[in-house]
Amino acid sequence: MRQTIAVYKRELALLFRSPIAYAVAFALLLFLGVLYSGQLSQIVQYNQFAGQQGAQPVGASELNLTTGVLVFLLFLVGPLLTMRLLAEESREGTIETLMTLPMTEGHFIVGKFLAVWTFYTIVLLITLVYHVIGHQVGVPDDGAAFGQYVGAWLYGGAVLAVCMIWSAVTEDQIVAAFLSAATVLVLYLAESAATSLSNAPGLSGLSNFVRELGLQAHYNGTLANGIIRAEDIAYFILVIVGALFITVRIVETRRWRG
Amino acid sequence: MIEVKELTKRYGSYTAVNAISFDAKPGQVTGFLGPNGAGKTTTMRMLTGFLPPTSGHAMVAGKDAFDESMEVRKAVGYLPENVPLYRDMTALGYLMYMAEIRGVPNRKARALETLERVRLIERANSKIRTLSKGMRQRVGLAQALIHDPQVLILDEPTIGLDPIQVLELRDLVRDLGKKHTVLFSTHILSEAEQVCDKVVIINRGNIVAQGAPAELRTTLERGGRIVLRTNASADKVLPVVQSLPAVAQADQALDTIVILPKDTHTDPRPAVARAIIENGWELIELRPLAVNLEEIFLELTRQTESASAEPVAETSEASS
Repeated sequence: MRQTIAVYKRELALLFRSPIAYAVAFALLLFLGVLYSGQLSQIVQYNQFAGQQGAQPVGASELNLTTGVLVFLLFLVGPLLTMRLLAEESREGTIETLMTLPMTEGHFIVGKFLAVWTFYTIVLLITLVYHVIGHQVGVPDDGAAFGQYVGAWLYGGAVLAVCMIWSAVTEDQIVAAFLSAATVLVLYLAESAATSLSNAPGLSGLSNFVRELGLQAHYNGTLANGIIRAEDIAYFILVIVGALFITVRIVETRRWRG
Repeated sequence: MIEVKELTKRYGSYTAVNAISFDAKPGQVTGFLGPNGAGKTTTMRMLTGFLPPTSGHAMVAGKDAFDESMEVRKAVGYLPENVPLYRDMTALGYLMYMAEIRGVPNRKARALETLERVRLIERANSKIRTLSKGMRQRVGLAQALIHDPQVLILDEPTIGLDPIQVLELRDLVRDLGKKHTVLFSTHILSEAEQVCDKVVIINRGNIVAQGAPAELRTTLERGGRIVLRTNASADKVLPVVQSLPAVAQADQALDTIVILPKDTHTDPRPAVARAIIENGWELIELRPLAVNLEEIFLELTRQTESASAEPVAETSEASS
């Protein structure tokens, strides 16, 4: 616990001093800001038009930020935030000192993960500003927003944990980033793959399996619409715990092979 | 206190460390001496719990280095060979981080005290990347000392330092050895001779000799080759020396004769001296070939290399 906190504090401080973390946060917020302002101006135009025609104005969840775009962009954000975490420690050899301290791999990796997840959480909380803006313009759907944000938070945690596996596998940050991005994309696209599979006869079981394995099946259409299902929450937590467990095992075996 | 019994590490068919046994006592500096690739770092990594051994045991500070790794890690300070540090941290920040993970109370005071001890206090707030190699080495050493460990394991701490820094570091190691159990690896023999109370010589994963530096010298002098120099020509002296019962072999080497004794119990020197005098020649020099650790080391590695020629051939066959 003490060790995890020490690692967490150092790693979080490092993220706030790292140019790449700022660049990622900046790019993400800029992109979402442009997207949301476009969305708003369309709604405002439509509502003016609807007002003239006496039709119903658009409101509620239409005014919410499209978090579907945010979770899609995690295939870039996740790898960029995590690629350094373990790859750098192996390359610089600092892992040798750390793993001769009274600290297990678990303490160390959980500390690192929590730090990067915290950083992501802060960026996510900043995007709540769009919801506040939405309230100035109309009446966004607060309930749906809650589901969207809880979902995006867990989704992000799962992506970051999966990306950490690759940072443990290779010493090369670029390789780690590419493999992470590929893995996250595959998990993202699992739903599309499942749809193609379901067209083939006799593969509906496999199709369902692939769909449930992917990230989208547990976000798109459920949490993204504010529907909080226990199975989706359980899925994300399971992915986080599973990925961290695999990461711990990889760090252990890499060390033991010398 | 370090006790190593039959410790072995294999990587596939390659044996990095082959059933070595030795111990290191508190209040002593034990030198771990061997050429590059002898297995020093691998052994130290096993002692610190970084690598699991293939077989055998290592007891460090009364605990098994593998089964009770966490307990051992608490009692050990370790300076890895290439001194890995976080270059973006300050010396003080790095030490405080290490102290925090180790749960050292009064982190800041303790970190400053340790920096004082390694004479780096004036650079406490410098980024590690701006420090020279010798200073980084001292930061690494401070990291190993931060929790005042019972056992200190230093992997080639003097490598890459300038001569003055080397002297300073040797003083520091000797000083630490008074209180702690220090295991210190080097491939520089004069260093081991100066700093260590005990030397363990390792080559190709095998221990070839161990003991106090002076003790090692006497054991090796016995049974070791002897150099003879006289004023007479070697053609005349050689047959006389070869005929002596205590001499196994005698060969000419430049203007001297190198004598190999028959066994380790009888010193052939008195008999050789008498024979030379009786023949009316002048005896100029009669001494063991190995007079310092450097020569002892070469002698020992020469012996193990010829002895291990066969097993080496076997392993290469097995792997092919």
